[in-house]
Amino acid sequence: MAEMEYNVPTERWPAHPETATQEGKNKFVGFWTFLAGETALFASLFATYLALKDSVPSDDHMLASELFHLPLAFVMTMLLLTSSLTSVYAIYHMRNNNFQKMQLWLGITVLLGAGFLALEIYEFIEYYGYGHTFRSSAFGSAFYFLIGTHGFHVIVGLIWAVLLILRNAKRGLSVYTAAKVNTFALYWHFIDVVWVFIFTIVYLLGVL
Amino acid sequence: MAQTSAQKKGVGSVIWEYLTTVDHKKIAILYLIAGGFFFVLGGIEAMLIRIQLAVPNNDFLSAGLFNEVITMHGTTMIFLAAMPLLFAFMNATVPLQIGARDVAFPFLNSLGVWLFIFGGIFLNLSWFMGGAPDAGWTSYASLSIASPGHGIDFYALGLQISGAGTLISGINFVTTIITMRAPGMTYMRMPLMTWTTLVASVLIVFAFPPLTIGIFLLMFDRMFGSNFFLVEAGGNTIIWEHLFWIFGHPEVYILILPAFGIFSEIFATFARKRLFGYSAMVFATVLIGFYGFMVWAHHMFTVGLGPVANAIFAVATMAIAVPTGIKIFNWIATIWGGSIEFTTPMLYALAFIPSFTMGGVTGIMQAAAPADYQYHDSYFIVAHFHYVIVGGVVFALLAGLHYYWPLMFATMLNEKLGKITFWLFFFGFHLTFLIQHFLGLWGMPRRVFTYLDGQGYNAANMISTAGAFLMAVAVIVLVVNIIMTIAKNERVGMDPWGDGRTLEWSLPLPVPYYNFAQIPLIRGLDPYWVEKKEGNGKMLPSESLTDFHMPNNSILPVVMSLGLFIAAFGAMFFPDGKDWAIDAVSGLDPKPWALPVLIIGLGTTFVAMGIRSWKDDLGYYVKKEEVEKDLEELERGGK
Amino acid sequence: MAELNQEHMTKAQKEYLRKERTREMRQQLVSFGLMIFLTFIAFGLAALEVIPAQFTIPIVIGFAFIQVILQFYYFMHMKDRGHQFAKLFMLTGFYFALAFIVAFIYIVWIGAPVN
Repeated sequence: MAEMEYNVPTERWPAHPETATQEGKNKFVGFWTFLAGETALFASLFATYLALKDSVPSDDHMLASELFHLPLAFVMTMLLLTSSLTSVYAIYHMRNNNFQKMQLWLGITVLLGAGFLALEIYEFIEYYGYGHTFRSSAFGSAFYFLIGTHGFHVIVGLIWAVLLILRNAKRGLSVYTAAKVNTFALYWHFIDVVWVFIFTIVYLLGVL
Repeated sequence: MAQTSAQKKGVGSVIWEYLTTVDHKKIAILYLIAGGFFFVLGGIEAMLIRIQLAVPNNDFLSAGLFNEVITMHGTTMIFLAAMPLLFAFMNATVPLQIGARDVAFPFLNSLGVWLFIFGGIFLNLSWFMGGAPDAGWTSYASLSIASPGHGIDFYALGLQISGAGTLISGINFVTTIITMRAPGMTYMRMPLMTWTTLVASVLIVFAFPPLTIGIFLLMFDRMFGSNFFLVEAGGNTIIWEHLFWIFGHPEVYILILPAFGIFSEIFATFARKRLFGYSAMVFATVLIGFYGFMVWAHHMFTVGLGPVANAIFAVATMAIAVPTGIKIFNWIATIWGGSIEFTTPMLYALAFIPSFTMGGVTGIMQAAAPADYQYHDSYFIVAHFHYVIVGGVVFALLAGLHYYWPLMFATMLNEKLGKITFWLFFFGFHLTFLIQHFLGLWGMPRRVFTYLDGQGYNAANMISTAGAFLMAVAVIVLVVNIIMTIAKNERVGMDPWGDGRTLEWSLPLPVPYYNFAQIPLIRGLDPYWVEKKEGNGKMLPSESLTDFHMPNNSILPVVMSLGLFIAAFGAMFFPDGKDWAIDAVSGLDPKPWALPVLIIGLGTTFVAMGIRSWKDDLGYYVKKEEVEKDLEELERGGK
Repeated sequence: MAELNQEHMTKAQKEYLRKERTREMRQQLVSFGLMIFLTFIAFGLAALEVIPAQFTIPIVIGFAFIQVILQFYYFMHMKDRGHQFAKLFMLTGFYFALAFIVAFIYIVWIGAPVN
C-alpha cells in the first residue's frame, strides 16, 4: 500500500476534494453537527436578548428605537453578505484545483470581514458615548452579549482564515488542506446566517 | 492499569502515554479513573448529608457548610461522576461495536477528557480556596448572585470548562457513529448501546450550548459587571431558570439513555435472547430524546408561568411515559422465556426494572401541575430523582463496570464480591430513598440542614441514614474487589462472558491498540452472535490485510485545557474590590494580577489551537507485518 | 483510512463536472442577487414604515428565513447529495431555537400571575 496520498495530481483531482478522505468526511459531518450546536447557542442568546430588550433601570437610558440607526447596519450587512459570496468563489476555485484564485478570494473574504468588524467596533464606541454600555442596564448587557458573541465569531473566523492562507501558501492545495478550507467556508456562511437574524430581529424590529 | 506497557516502560513514560493518548480505549480508562474518583467524592458528601440529617437538631455540619455540601454533592455526581463514567463506557464500547479503529476525532476525544478533568479539579479546589458553591446544583440566579465570596465562581467556571469538554465529546460521538461504521453495519443493525450513545450525543449538542450561555450570563454578572440577573438594573432571574432547565431536562436523558443502552446489552446477553422489539426500542430512544427538549418548564411549575404554559408542559411530560413504557415492556419481553444467567450485571439489570419504574411513576405524579405545588421542594422530589438517577443511571454504571471490565482490562471482577456489592447496594438504596417519599408527603422540605424534634421525621430520617451506610459499605466492597482483581491480574481470553452477541466481544483481549486487524463485515443485528450461529464463530473480514492509518498522540489537549484552567483563576479574581462589581465580591482585596493571568491562560489555549491548526497531523501507518505477527501470537496463545 | 479512493475521471465526466460547476455558480449568483434584494426591501420597509408595523414584522422575519434557506441550500451546498444529516440537524436546531425563543418571549415571568 502506498504512503499517504494527499497531494493528488491534477488529473486525479476529485470532484469533491473536501470529502475525498475519511478525515474530510469526518470534518464535514462533525462541523455540521457543531453548527447545529451553534444554532442552539445563538437561539439562547436571541431569546435572552428578546426577554431583556428595552429593560432598563430608569428613563434616562436609551431604548432600542432611539439607539439603532439603519444605514450603518445596512452597510455592515452588505459587507458580510458579499464576503459570504466571495468565500463561495474560494470554494469554487478549490474544487477546480485553482490554488492561486482560491487564496485570492479567501483574502478578499478576510478584507470584507475586517471591514465589517471595523464598523461594528465603531458602532460600539458610538453607543458607549450615548451611555449604552455593557454595564449600564440589562438591555445593554444583552445587546453587547448577542452582538459581541457574533463579533467574536467574526474575529475567530478572520484569524482562522489568515492562518489558513499563510499555512497553505507553502503547502499548496491538497485534499488535506481542501477539507480545512471547506470547513472554514461553512463557518463563515454560518456567521452570515446569524447576522441575517441579528439585523432582522435586533435592528429592523428594534427601530419599529 | 495498562499492565502490558508498564512491564516494558517506566512509570514516567506510562504517565506521558496517558497524558498524550488519543486512543479511545485509554481515554475510556482516564474517564473511568477520574469519574470514579469524583463518584467517591460525591459519595462522601452524600454520607455527610445523611449523618447531619440522621437526628433532629444535629450540629455535625453548620448550616452554611451543609449548603456547600449539598451543592457539591449534586454538581459532582451529575457533571463529574455520572456523565464521565458513561463517557468511559461509550468510549470503551462504541468504536468497537461499530467496527472502527478509533473515533472520528481522536484529538478532540482527548481534549474532551482533559477539559473535564481540569474543570472538575477547578470546581473542587473551591473547598480549599474560601468555600464551595452554596446555591444548590441548580444555582438559581437570585441565590447565586447574592452568595458572598467566590464559591459560585468556582461552580460557573468549573462547569464552563468541563461543559466545553462534554460538548466536544458529544460532537465526536455523533460524527463517529455516522461516518465510521464498518461495512454492513447499517443503522438498524447498530447495538442499542451505540444507538443510545448517538441520541444522547445529539442531546448534548443541543442542550449544552444553552447551559454555556446561562453560565456565561452568570459569569458576566459575577465577574464583569453586567446586569442580566440584577433586577434593579432591569435584569430577570427567571432567564437563568429557563436556560438551566432547557439544558437540565435533556441532561436527565443524556444520563439515562446510555444507561438504557447498557441494560439493553446486558438483558440480551444474559437472557441469551435477541433484544425483543429492537426497532421499537430504537424508535422509543429517538422519541425520548426529542420529547426531552419539550418539557423543561415542568421544573418551573411553581414559578408562575400561567396555566396555559403549565398545561402544555404537563401534557408533554406525561407523553414521555409512553416511549419509556415501551422500553420497560420490551426488556421484560426480552427476559421472558430466555435462558437467564444471574451474573452480577444481570442482577443490576433485573433490579433496575422495578426501581426505575418506581421513579418514573412518581415523575408522572409530579407532571400533574396542580399536584406538583404540593410536592415541590419537598423530600418527595429528592426521593423521585434519586430513584431515577440511582435506580437507573448508577445501577447501569455499576452493571456496566462489571460487564465491560474484561473488555477494558482483560480481567474479570470477582463475581461473589460483585453480588455482595449488588445486594448491599440494592437494599441500601431502597432503604435510603423509599422512606423519603413519605418524608416529603409528611411535609419535610428539601435542602434544610436540620429539623426539629417531635415533627415525626426522626425515625424516617434515621432509617434513611442507615440505608446510606449500606450503600457506602457496598462501594467499599466494590473498591476491594477492584483492588483484588488488579492485584491478581488473571487474564481472560476472547468473549469472557461466553454469550457475547455484539462486535466488541469478537476481539482478542486485551484489545490491540488498532482494534481490528481487518475491518469486519457485518451480516446482521448482533453480528458476533450471527457468526456463532451461522458461521464458524469468527467475524468475516471486509478488507484484505494491509497497512492502515492511525492518529498521532498529542500533548496539546492537556495544554489547551491547562490554559483555560489558568484563565479561570484570572476571571474569578478579576472583580475583587472593583466598584462596579456585585456586593458579593466588591468588598474583597483587589487582585491586580488577575487580568494578566486571564490573558496568559487564554493566550496559552489559543496559541495551542493555532499550533494544532498550523501543523499537518497526518498520523502514521501500522504495517501489515506487525499485524500479522500479532495475529500469529494470538493463534499460538489460543492453542 | 487516509487514502484517497478516487477513480480517474474520463474526459466526458470532467466536461460534465465543469458544466455542473458553472451552472452551480450561476445559481449561487442568482441567490446572492435575491439575498441583496430581500435585504433592500427589508431595510426599506423598516426605515420608511410604509405599512403598519404589525405587517412589517412578519414580512421581514419571513425574508430572513428565505435568505437563510438560500444561504444554506446554495452557499453551503445543502442541496447536494450527502447532506441529509446536515438538514436533519439544522432543522432540529431551528425547531428547538424557535421553541426557546417563543418561551422566552411569552413565559419569562412578566408578573401576570401577581395581578
